[in-house]
Amino acid sequence: MRTIAVLWASITMASALHAQVPTTPSDSAARAKAKADSIAADSIALIRELEQMQRGNAADTTRGTQVAGPSNPRLIPDISAIGDLVADLSPDGSTQESGNRFDIREVEVAIGAAVDPYFRADFILGLSDLEGIAIEEAYLTALSLPAALQARIGRFHMPFGKQNTTHRAELQTVEYPHVIQRFFSPEGLKGSGFWVSKIFAPFGFYQELQATAVNRLGDAPDDSVTLAEPLNKRLSGLGYSARLRNYWDLSEAANLELSFSAMTGKVEQPLGIELSFGSVTANAVPARQSDLGIDFTYRWKPLERALYKSFILQGEVIHQLNADAVAPLAPLICAPAPTCPLPDFGRSLTGGYVFARYQLTRRSFFGTRFDFVQNPAASEGSTKAGSTYLQFFPSEFSKFVVSYELLKPGTGLKSVNRILLQTTFAVGPHRPHPF
Amino acid sequence: MNIRIIFCAGVMALTLGASSQALAQPKLRIVTSTTDLDNIAQAVGGDRVSAIHISEGYQDPHFVEAKPSFILKLRNADVFAFVGLDLEIGWMSLLIDGARNPKIRQGGSGYLDVSRVVRVIDVARGNVDRSQGDVHPQGNPHYWLDPENGRRIARLFRDKFSELDPAGASTYAANARAFEARLNAAENQWKPQLAKLKGKPVVAWHTSWRYLAQYTGINIVGFMEPKPGVPPSPSHLAGLIQTMRRTGVKVIVMEPFYDRKTADFVAARTSAKVLILPPSVGAIKGVTDYISLMQYDIRQLADAL
Ligand SMILES: [Zn+2]
Repeated sequence: MRTIAVLWASITMASALHAQVPTTPSDSAARAKAKADSIAADSIALIRELEQMQRGNAADTTRGTQVAGPSNPRLIPDISAIGDLVADLSPDGSTQESGNRFDIREVEVAIGAAVDPYFRADFILGLSDLEGIAIEEAYLTALSLPAALQARIGRFHMPFGKQNTTHRAELQTVEYPHVIQRFFSPEGLKGSGFWVSKIFAPFGFYQELQATAVNRLGDAPDDSVTLAEPLNKRLSGLGYSARLRNYWDLSEAANLELSFSAMTGKVEQPLGIELSFGSVTANAVPARQSDLGIDFTYRWKPLERALYKSFILQGEVIHQLNADAVAPLAPLICAPAPTCPLPDFGRSLTGGYVFARYQLTRRSFFGTRFDFVQNPAASEGSTKAGSTYLQFFPSEFSKFVVSYELLKPGTGLKSVNRILLQTTFAVGPHRPHPF
Repeated sequence: MNIRIIFCAGVMALTLGASSQALAQPKLRIVTSTTDLDNIAQAVGGDRVSAIHISEGYQDPHFVEAKPSFILKLRNADVFAFVGLDLEIGWMSLLIDGARNPKIRQGGSGYLDVSRVVRVIDVARGNVDRSQGDVHPQGNPHYWLDPENGRRIARLFRDKFSELDPAGASTYAANARAFEARLNAAENQWKPQLAKLKGKPVVAWHTSWRYLAQYTGINIVGFMEPKPGVPPSPSHLAGLIQTMRRTGVKVIVMEPFYDRKTADFVAARTSAKVLILPPSVGAIKGVTDYISLMQYDIRQLADAL
């Protein structure tokens, strides 16, 4: 496995080095000379070609009206696709959900366009072997509301915390931080419902409040879990979230975001047995789950060296509060003698991470992350992990990542070494770079 | 006598009223994507507008971060003027969507795509894809380094500001005329230098110097970038060095935000020297307005060639 890892790394890095480190041309002068002229012509070939094609339209260009006609006369929406490939070369076997060593983790297809003067539509479909076709996001954004408001209806990444709003393929790490994977899901937390945001600046800096009301908190469990009545029968069973973003420019090169998030909703807690509630039976009960989060992102990028130098320091802490809806039913579950040990569903859990990324060259970055998250069973302590990343971007549209992680799953559990390689690549119109 | 005093007082009150009304008249709020557009907007708008910009002259205009603080700048803007031709594609939509300001959205009265009035070169015809690098299919967006385009930008601002602030129309027209007169006068001064530059071979880092080359008559025989936006590779540089030796290139022109070491590497192997030129207003000290930018670049080139 190590050989494959080295091989992959050297293949992806080889083109990198080849393209980047200037070697002394006199070393290979003879060979270079032969190739020289054709290569030198490379960059101007395109220009000359363009000029030639343009000459036919010279009259236009001198009039300056030559950006003639719309660039998209048939109003075709923007369509783009991202491939997200992961190889898992961990020494003790694949640590992927699929169990595969080499995997197309996901293909993401995004379609977006203005619907009419009032709305914009975005669809993001996720294709994977595990989930088939999934609607990752699909929402209508109202862009011309008064009072600096913006609203969405549909399915979207829940605006809770910093990294959860970023698509997995666009993360600066291969996977979400463990706290997001554990508290939400390996693909983050999405919700279907209503989203509204307002920006304001009463103190002179940027503030934004985002609030949502969604069908439920997180994904519904599979059909084997049954409740006496639907989770969202009452409005109190829906998911609600709020996030306050605060942003400051510390200097031209440095800035800071410090934000707070809160979310509440209901989730199913398993009873372990089937109980009857009036005329219906159920094997789970709804229980309130709430999350509180704080996150900060410090960015540094000197403008005049922006192509080559940058640094990000990011951290997030999430505290999850769980109501225990099972404990009150203990006499029923453990009847006749209420002695059976029930899991402690009411345990509050805390998790978080710190991530730093430093730009090494124009196209390569080094990142490192420390994770911790309390395990559901108190006896198992906390999951801790440290990981490092070497990213290489041949262009804005392709990325290669080599990462190593030491994962300590908790008290009495064996540590795992993980070696992950990732390639993501995008085709389609240039999408804006999320900040 | 009394009547006269009363009349005078009345006139004074009226003029005071009028001038305080003029003072209270809110300025047109202009936000531009670049410093060059900002400077021309100020030249045309004068006291009647307040103009601010998003990217600085010393930063690569292709890569600007969509900082939320820019959203605040755009939130109350009456006009957002941008270069267009995809130069701002990496950040503009995030800021416009974030700003929730219908005036500056596409179709709004303040959405001003400056590229629609300028003389554009390098428009792609036929098939274009990213194997050709980071191409701008609608044409080369670095058009402000051609004084004719400077004039057209000024006229566009004159028309747009007059449309949004009809009371200022005559001021905008006068300011635009004055700007053009200053630019024309400067161009006359540059004539000897331009004559000297005609046909001189140079190498440029990026296609951003194509407009200045066309204006000055210098001949760009190669680019440091093998393809637009693609960093130099050793094999490309080896070929470029051969071309430079053959054609007798004396100058490598580049922006201050690219990696000078690579250019120095090439210069050391040829008889060329590296000339770092400001591509925009504010890119270096002393280049504080559009005309001084053009003047500085032309003089530097003429001195070096
Ligand atoms: Zn460019």
